[in-house]
Amino acid sequence: MTTDPREPTATPDDQPAADGGTAPAADGGTEARAAGATAEVPLPVGREETGHEHALPPQSAIRRWFVTTNHKDIGILYIVTSLFFLVFGGTLALLFRIQLWSPVQAGQTGFLSAFAYNQAVSIHGLVMVFWFLSPFAFGFANYVVPLQLGAKDLAFPRLNAISYWFYLASGILLGVSFFQGGSFAGGWTMYAPLNIPTFMPNIGGTTAVLALALFVISVTVSSVNFLTTMHRMRAEGLTLRRLPLFSASILLTVWMMLFAFASLLAALFILTADRVLGTTYFASGSPGGSILWTHLFWFFGHPEVYIVFFPALGAMAEIFQTFTGRRLVGRKWFMLAMLLVALQSFVVWMHHMFLTTINLQIKTLFMATTIGISLPFDLMVFALIYTMIKGDNRFTTPFLFAFGALLLFIIGGITGVFLGAVVLDYEFRGTYWVVAHFHYVMVGGVTGLVGALYYWYPKITGRMYDEFLGKLHFAVYFVGFNLLYFPLFVIWENPRRVFDYSPAFQPWQQLATVGAFILGLSFLIMFYNLGKSLWTGAEAGSSPWEYATTAEWAVDSPPPLENFPGIASYKDGFLSFLAPAGEVQPMAADGGAVGMKADARLEPGYDDVHASHASVWPFVVAMGVLFAFLGLGSIHSGKLPTGVGGAVYLGLGALGVLIGGTGLVFMGLEPFHAPEVPIAERWPFEGITKMKTGVWIFLASDIVLFGAFIGAYIFMRFDFGWTIWHHDLIPPQHVVLPGLINTYLLLTSSFTVVLALVAAERRSRAGVVASLVTTLFLGVGFLINKAIEWHHLFDIRTTAYPAGWAFSTNAASSTFYLTTGLHAIHVFVGLLITSYLIFRAWGGKYLGEADGNSIEYFGLYWHFVDIVWLFLFPLFYIL
Amino acid sequence: MPSTKLYAAIYVVLFAFATLQFVVEQAGLLRTIYWTAFAIIIALSIVKAVLVAGWYQHLKFEPRSLTALVLIGLTAVLALTFAAAYSIT
Repeated sequence: MTTDPREPTATPDDQPAADGGTAPAADGGTEARAAGATAEVPLPVGREETGHEHALPPQSAIRRWFVTTNHKDIGILYIVTSLFFLVFGGTLALLFRIQLWSPVQAGQTGFLSAFAYNQAVSIHGLVMVFWFLSPFAFGFANYVVPLQLGAKDLAFPRLNAISYWFYLASGILLGVSFFQGGSFAGGWTMYAPLNIPTFMPNIGGTTAVLALALFVISVTVSSVNFLTTMHRMRAEGLTLRRLPLFSASILLTVWMMLFAFASLLAALFILTADRVLGTTYFASGSPGGSILWTHLFWFFGHPEVYIVFFPALGAMAEIFQTFTGRRLVGRKWFMLAMLLVALQSFVVWMHHMFLTTINLQIKTLFMATTIGISLPFDLMVFALIYTMIKGDNRFTTPFLFAFGALLLFIIGGITGVFLGAVVLDYEFRGTYWVVAHFHYVMVGGVTGLVGALYYWYPKITGRMYDEFLGKLHFAVYFVGFNLLYFPLFVIWENPRRVFDYSPAFQPWQQLATVGAFILGLSFLIMFYNLGKSLWTGAEAGSSPWEYATTAEWAVDSPPPLENFPGIASYKDGFLSFLAPAGEVQPMAADGGAVGMKADARLEPGYDDVHASHASVWPFVVAMGVLFAFLGLGSIHSGKLPTGVGGAVYLGLGALGVLIGGTGLVFMGLEPFHAPEVPIAERWPFEGITKMKTGVWIFLASDIVLFGAFIGAYIFMRFDFGWTIWHHDLIPPQHVVLPGLINTYLLLTSSFTVVLALVAAERRSRAGVVASLVTTLFLGVGFLINKAIEWHHLFDIRTTAYPAGWAFSTNAASSTFYLTTGLHAIHVFVGLLITSYLIFRAWGGKYLGEADGNSIEYFGLYWHFVDIVWLFLFPLFYIL
Repeated sequence: MPSTKLYAAIYVVLFAFATLQFVVEQAGLLRTIYWTAFAIIIALSIVKAVLVAGWYQHLKFEPRSLTALVLIGLTAVLALTFAAAYSIT
């Protein structure tokens, strides 16, 4: 492997380059110089990019940015928006750093009021972790990953636009929350029971929780999209282990996202129910209560550490390769180490809970797994260091940031090992040691991503940034960073989250505040540099970097709308573009190595139907959700605020539902073409259609969402006492029969969906419509039966339950209503889809489509909802 | 793909098993041998789930990667549930 002279992305592993495009280095041929990836190699001239932009307005038009579904545009939107949130979160940080200039005793008001301080600290954390870090990374992922894969766009371009608009809407919601009696002020971890209305009754608190929930929905949609894309649209020859390192890191990131964020979504939905409906999951006296939150939150929260760090790591690896001029040492092991970390990240979450009441055995176990997860990171760090030692390093701005990130991460990583030891954690928990540690890791990651911004800036804009200002930015940034965060290690005994600290720590606090301002200032240099270079920067050409080897550098900067002139392929060991025979024109005389190739598998005119790139509906849907959530967030224990405010919120919510619903319908009816690539690597989902892959990946995350709800129920019941739960908390009026009837209804409706599919295959329109209508009626019957049952239980008046058995009665009622309620919402959504299918089937759709039938995809969802009920029935009715 | 007959047979089994779960409860087994009855009821649910997933959702006839995907999600959430429950013993 080490004798392979080429970086395996433009030239996959194990395949010697045959085109003479390499310049073996003196140290044994490890220098990478991929043909077609460097500036002087001409671009393919086989087929001209079609000039028209497929009904997409030009980039100079504002309208373009509201309708675009192109991955590069959306990447830019993500990057710009996330940088705005960097400024937002950074400003909040500066506010509380000013407060910390001198200690303020509890009860006294400093620069900020106590409540404002708590909001600033909490929202700073939330903004930086959620609204800045991941979206910043996913801006690059959106832009670069399809290019590195050889794809023309993501698998579901409109869903990609929806992800972005949900993200922006969630950010707007968070901003609005400040003006609703104050935002969430209980810390970014939102620990229970501080997060419930008893302690944080303001509407803004609920809006902030809903904002985060919407953000998570955006992430889930994005994960499904990226996973489908990355598993089904890789250029021929680009097997998973040959993926460029940035793409590999993103692939692992989205896998972690898919499962981890589902657990957070469950936690946030439950918290929303506690705040909006008045369920009592996280109430002080609730069985499990606060521990339940920590489990759900940290089961997400620890993978989240790697979710935000991996893209930075992948970008660092690419930048290291480009600017050391050699392939990453131990590339294969580096990828294996990332895979290990991704797996291990799901078995370390309880190290965040060493100071809770969980037992010592499990703490010891999680200490061991935590030490274990540091080992693959050691390998990655050494791989990067060794690459530098063996490389011919050029300290350009991207490399300075990547190298700086490595140094910071080493400090952050080592100080984290201390926290992983139970005994030491008893001292360190809740102190500035933790704060300093995770800022070295997280902002270390930011450092790598800032390097990525400089690295891909010429690709995205077509212009070079100013190198001197870039280096100046790094110098100021690095000094500011360490002035800000290192003092926090020194005064580690300082408890975190509070502004009332020992006067002995004041000089260090002041040093940190000075550092914070220097760090913030450094970004002004960056914004100036990147802004000015848009106009005055030198033309970047296809690649300004001499040793860049991944496919994004093989096309123009910025790349044309559909990226490549044909179907990208690495079949012959280097990048080429396939086209049908007869459509390939002769190469230019100086024939670059990247060229057009005739491929017999492609029929002339295979791409006659042009891909769509514009849809306004994702934006409309997101705006609808924004208003709906604003209305929803105002509800407290099932009641709207009184007076005009309540009416306004009600109106906003209703408007939101209307806009969102209309948008979804129009989006469904809109003809939008996202063509399948005829030739691509699809492991491990060969032979499964794009849509089916997407549906199953979504269902996998829904399994975790429902599983977390059911798990929460099991956890609380276990804590309360499994077998006395039924007797102590549930009235005898709660009987099995309604559950049994609903089981019958749902099972029958599953069967009728199967019959609809059978009828579709037999091309029977009447059969399809009749089966679907039966499904609809059965589903409606299910919901009516449930409504009657709930109404009955709400209204029982017995000595044990004088006020009925309502949401807020006890843990059993809370878990019963919420878990079966989430299921009922799934049924309701399924019935909306059924109605849509009936409407279309009436018009003669879906007949005879044995492969890729919408009824089948809907069936997968509907049967899943059925399966969930098969477990809810015994758990909530029988046992 | 299975025949309509097989789909119908599976439906009958699902229906019968749901009824059986109800019968186990009505017979009062939960009052006498709770954990045995618990095991029977949950086992019936698992069999029903496998039938629906395997045949109605066609997992049996799809590449194993989809089954693996489902099992990964299931494993993750079972690990969370059992580890969380164990942690408070």
